[in-house]
Amino acid sequence: MSLRALKLDNLPTPKVEEWKYTNLSRALGELKDVLPEKPREVVIHRKRGEVCGAIEDIMWKGVDGTHQPLHLKIILDAGVEATVIERHMGEGSYWKNMSTEIILAKNARLNHVRLVEDSAEGVQTNMVHITMERDSYLNSFSLNTGGKMTRHDIHAVLRGENIDCSLNGVNLLKDAQHGDTTIVMEHTAPHCVSNQFYRTILDDAARGVFQGKVHVHQAAQKTDGYQLANTIMLSPKCEMDTKPELEIYADDVKCSHGTTTGALDEEPLFYLRSRGLSEAAARMLLVQAFVDEVCDKIADDAMRDDVKEKAGMWLSEQLR
Amino acid sequence: MIEIKNLHASIETDEGVSKEIIKGLSLSIPAGEVHAIMGPNGAGKSTLSYVLAGRDDYEVTNGSVELDGKDLLDMAPEERAAAGLFLAFQYPIEIPGVNMSMFLKTSINAIRKQRGEEELDALGMLKLIKAKTKALGIKDDMMKRAVNVGFSGGEKKRNEVLQMAMLEPKFCVLDETDSGLDIDALKVVADGVNALRSPDRSFLVITHYQRLLDYIKPDVVHVLAHGKIVKSGGPELALELEEKGYAEFLEEAA
Repeated sequence: MSLRALKLDNLPTPKVEEWKYTNLSRALGELKDVLPEKPREVVIHRKRGEVCGAIEDIMWKGVDGTHQPLHLKIILDAGVEATVIERHMGEGSYWKNMSTEIILAKNARLNHVRLVEDSAEGVQTNMVHITMERDSYLNSFSLNTGGKMTRHDIHAVLRGENIDCSLNGVNLLKDAQHGDTTIVMEHTAPHCVSNQFYRTILDDAARGVFQGKVHVHQAAQKTDGYQLANTIMLSPKCEMDTKPELEIYADDVKCSHGTTTGALDEEPLFYLRSRGLSEAAARMLLVQAFVDEVCDKIADDAMRDDVKEKAGMWLSEQLR
Repeated sequence: MIEIKNLHASIETDEGVSKEIIKGLSLSIPAGEVHAIMGPNGAGKSTLSYVLAGRDDYEVTNGSVELDGKDLLDMAPEERAAAGLFLAFQYPIEIPGVNMSMFLKTSINAIRKQRGEEELDALGMLKLIKAKTKALGIKDDMMKRAVNVGFSGGEKKRNEVLQMAMLEPKFCVLDETDSGLDIDALKVVADGVNALRSPDRSFLVITHYQRLLDYIKPDVVHVLAHGKIVKSGGPELALELEEKGYAEFLEEAA
């Protein structure tokens, strides 16, 4: 095989309907021509009856000038519980070309937290495939403050009854950062609950994208599928693209989606100031509360505090 | 105590035109007195309360407002609060994600700091909250709820009076505190306000109806129409308005 064949000429562009709104080729620039490193793979497989309370803590480090294929596979057998934390950092410009597979057997329970603090020139794409069997539970949270461009593509298939799947996240973006979260939630069986709850704060010329879809198949009666995406814009130059979608073929379901995008409301701001808070303190309190409502969905107490602190640091830096 | 002289204030309409709402209003409330302002819809009652509290949608084009000799109009809303002004909102604002005890703590300490007083520690705060909530019949679990989120009309107004009691203002403006209240809630709220009456605190009670004034007895009643005070008198003026309505004043000004 020639080197030419390995070059990436056919990367998706924003013109591809399925890939909207991320210009990967432009973000990668010269990195397109860099050959991929040897893939790094992490497999977490918890077998039935295996009792292990320890939290899996994975660090993914970006290295300057590289194209890194990363694979994460989490397999939980029937009735197994696990907590996985992923930390993303790095130096210089790189492309983390990541794929994640999450396979939850019946009654398995996974708490998954991602902390994305990639370098200012780092690019991360992450294609996530989730399959869940009956009575399984997933609580996924992602805090995204890093990277020149990040794209988090999640495709979840709920294959059995009584599944509870939550995908939550906070995106805090500044400068010219681009952060995209794209979700397809497939309800193929009855009596399942899914939640998507994302909140974004944009400053400077940052661009946020949220496209979330709940696809309820005809067999998936009694589905509860919810989606909420709210954005606060701190600067007139930032941009948010939101595309909520419900595609429903069953006739006995409860589904909703809601999105809001705008500047911080003036009314609560005035109310707090009339109670003695300075404008800066009032802004901070309101924005922090906005973000904390999503962080509160994290199950682990220590992790939740850690995430809130990280978000708080970002906010106090931007709202100074 | 509070001295309002020839106040003019306008708001920019959606069409971008400046519209004058307060048109030369003068009012003086000595320490310890309760004054009521009554008036028809659109007279400028709520505008007056927002202008006093410093909401920036309104532009003051003329006149002055002084609290204890200090120029209020020159201050930011938070500075007015520290100087002793308190506005009880007609429609208290919901603050999702901020619970009551956090909100009260932040507010009290922000005011104390501005006043050059020592901030309250957790225990001092707890004691203060306990004492004030008990007096107003507010249940402890309300302190864990987000500010005004899912509160009933009565709870919202009780919450305003609770904040008033905790912030120890010199001058309180009550903007239609009776709206959205049933008789029982009205009584609780009025009792809370009455408990705060003191020789060094004054009140401006804004209302449509005489009923509230049965519970909070005013020293002086003013009629506001077309952006200015058109008549002042004793409590009997409120009864007269209840009987005759505002027609007389609307015609006079027109």
